Amino acid sequence: MPVLTGVDLEIARGEFVVVAGPSGSGKTTLLNLLGLLEPPDSGEIWLGGERVSPAGRRAQARVRGASIGYVFQSFLLLPGLTALDNVLLAARYVRRDQTQARRDALVLLERMQVVHRKDHYPTQLSGGEQQRVAYCRAVLNRPPLILADEPTGNLDDLHARTILSELRAAAAERHAAVLLVTHRTEAHAGADRVLHLSGGRLAVRAPASAA
Amino acid sequence: MRLRAWLPRGYAFTVIGIAVGVAGLVSLGAMAERIMRFIDGGDRFVLGQISVAGEGMGMGTGFTAGGLLSAAKIAAIAAVPGVSGVQAQVMLPLNTSTSHFLTLTQELIMGLDLSVPIPNRHYRELPVAAGRSLKAGDHRVTVLGADFAASRHLGVGGTVALGGQDFTVAGILHKTFTAPDRFALVPIEDARELWLRRDPLLVQAFGAASLRRGDLNTGAAVGWRDGLDPDALARRIQATVPGLNVTIPGELSQLLRQSTAFFSALLLGIGALGLLIGGLSLANTVTAAVFERLRDFGIKRALGATDLDLLAEVLGEGLRVSLWGGAAGVLLAVAIGRVVDSRLVRDGQQLFLFSPRLLAFALAFSVALGALAAGYATLRIARLSPAEAIRRGT
Repeated sequence: MPVLTGVDLEIARGEFVVVAGPSGSGKTTLLNLLGLLEPPDSGEIWLGGERVSPAGRRAQARVRGASIGYVFQSFLLLPGLTALDNVLLAARYVRRDQTQARRDALVLLERMQVVHRKDHYPTQLSGGEQQRVAYCRAVLNRPPLILADEPTGNLDDLHARTILSELRAAAAERHAAVLLVTHRTEAHAGADRVLHLSGGRLAVRAPASAA
Repeated sequence: MRLRAWLPRGYAFTVIGIAVGVAGLVSLGAMAERIMRFIDGGDRFVLGQISVAGEGMGMGTGFTAGGLLSAAKIAAIAAVPGVSGVQAQVMLPLNTSTSHFLTLTQELIMGLDLSVPIPNRHYRELPVAAGRSLKAGDHRVTVLGADFAASRHLGVGGTVALGGQDFTVAGILHKTFTAPDRFALVPIEDARELWLRRDPLLVQAFGAASLRRGDLNTGAAVGWRDGLDPDALARRIQATVPGLNVTIPGELSQLLRQSTAFFSALLLGIGALGLLIGGLSLANTVTAAVFERLRDFGIKRALGATDLDLLAEVLGEGLRVSLWGGAAGVLLAVAIGRVVDSRLVRDGQQLFLFSPRLLAFALAFSVALGALAAGYATLRIARLSPAEAIRRGT
C-alpha cells in the first residue's frame, strides 16, 4: 500500500510551507523523499532546475550536502562530537573551507544562544540546546531548501518559538524554501501555504492568516 | 596530534575485544613457533653431520646410543674417502634415572674432543652468550646450555656438580630452542672420567688394560667434504668400517619428522585455530562496532557524505582501532607468555617463542582483517537509504 499517492508539489524560494496531517499520513515520508533520504518508487524530484531523483548516488549526496538542510525531530546529533563539531559536520562533506566554516558556525551558535556550549557533547546539552545546535548544522551551508520534521516536537514553548522564528527568518531573509512538518497551530499562521496530508494524498489549505 | 585523533572516542571496548582475540592468536602462534623451532633445530643438527656409535648397547645416549667406539674405529672412519673430520664424543645422561631416559629433552653431559673442530656443518660453533667456549687444556670446566644454566641459576664463574664432580662454568650458550639448551659441554677427558666413575663394568674392562682412554667414546660426529652426498658417505662408512652404528642423516631426519608428525599436525591445528579464533573475534568486533554506528552513518549521509566518504572514514577508524587492538593484544600475549615462562624456566622449559615474524604477522593480520571487516560492514550499510540507516540505528 503506497504511503504517498499523486503528490504533485512545487515550492518556491522564500516560501514558508507547513505540512500538517494525522499521524501516519506520510508527512515524514514526504520530507524524506524531498530530502533524498529515501528513494521514491516512482516520480521525479527537481531542485533548482536540476533533477535530483532519480539520480546517481554521488550526485544525490552532493545535493544533500550543499542544497538541503534537514532538521530532525530527535535532533540526531552525533554523540561523539562536540556541539561545534556537530555543526561543522555539515561543511565536511561539501569540502568547504574549514576556517570559514568554523567562523560561520560560531556566528550561528551565537545567534542561537548556544555558543557557550560549543565544546559540550550532546549528552551534556538540554533538548532545546540540542535542537538549536541541530538547526545550526542544517543551515550552515545556507541551503536553498530547508526541511524540518517536527523540530519543536520535543521542545518547550519558548524553544519551540525560537526554532519556528528562525525557520521563518530563513525563508524571509535568506530566501530558502522551507517545508515544515508540525502539529503546532501557531506555525500555520505565519505560513505562506498549509498543506494537509491525509491517506497519502496532499491537499492545499489556505493559511490561517488568509482564511 | 592529539591522542583522540589516533583512537576514536567510544572504541575502548572494541579495542579490548580485538586485543583479546589477537592475544589468543599470538599466544597460540608463539607456542607453535616454540615447537617448530625445536623440531627445525633438531633437524638442522641431524642433517649437519653423520653420527656414528659403536655397535651394540652401552651407556651412550642421544645420537651416540650404542657400544664403545674405539680410537681405531675413529681412525678408520677418518680414512674413508670423503670424510673431512671426525670428532670423538662422549654423551652421557646427567641423571641416569628412568624418567630422564624417556624424556624428549633430557639433560646430557657432552664430552668433546677439543683437538678436532666440530664437524657439524650447521653448528660449527656453539655460540656463547656469556663467558667463553671450551678450549684445549681445559679441565673440570664446562660450558652450559641456556636452559641448563637457567634452571639452576648458574652464571659464568659458578660451580656445578656433574656426576659427583665439581665443574667451573666457563660459558653459557645462546639459546638454541633445541637439544643443546640442556647440555653441559665438557672436555672429553673429563667426560671419560665421569663415565668410568659411573660404569663399574667399564672400569673392570678398562682396568684389565684391554682398553685405553682414547677408546672411551660413545660415538663420533663425522663431517664430509663439500659437494658430497652425506647419505652416500654414511653408507660408505658403514660398508667400509665394520662394527658401527651409522646414522644416515637423511633417514634420521625423516625419522625425526615422522616421530614429530603429531607435533607438526598439532602445530597446524594450533595455527589454524589461532587464526580462526583471533580472526573471527577481531572481524566480529570491528563489524559490530561499525554496525553500532549505523545511525551515525545515516546522519552523515543525510549531510552529504558519499559512499567513498563513509568508506574512508570507516576504514580509517577501523585501521586505527585494529592497530591499537592488535598492538595491545601483542603486548598482552607477550606479558602472559613472560609470566608463564618465568615459572617454567625453573625446570629449564619454555612454552612460548615470540619471534619478530610472529609479532609482525599478528599486527599485519589484525590490521588487514580489521580493514576487511570494516569495508564489509560499510558496504552493507551503504545499501541502506539514509532514512533507513537512521531508523535502524535508533
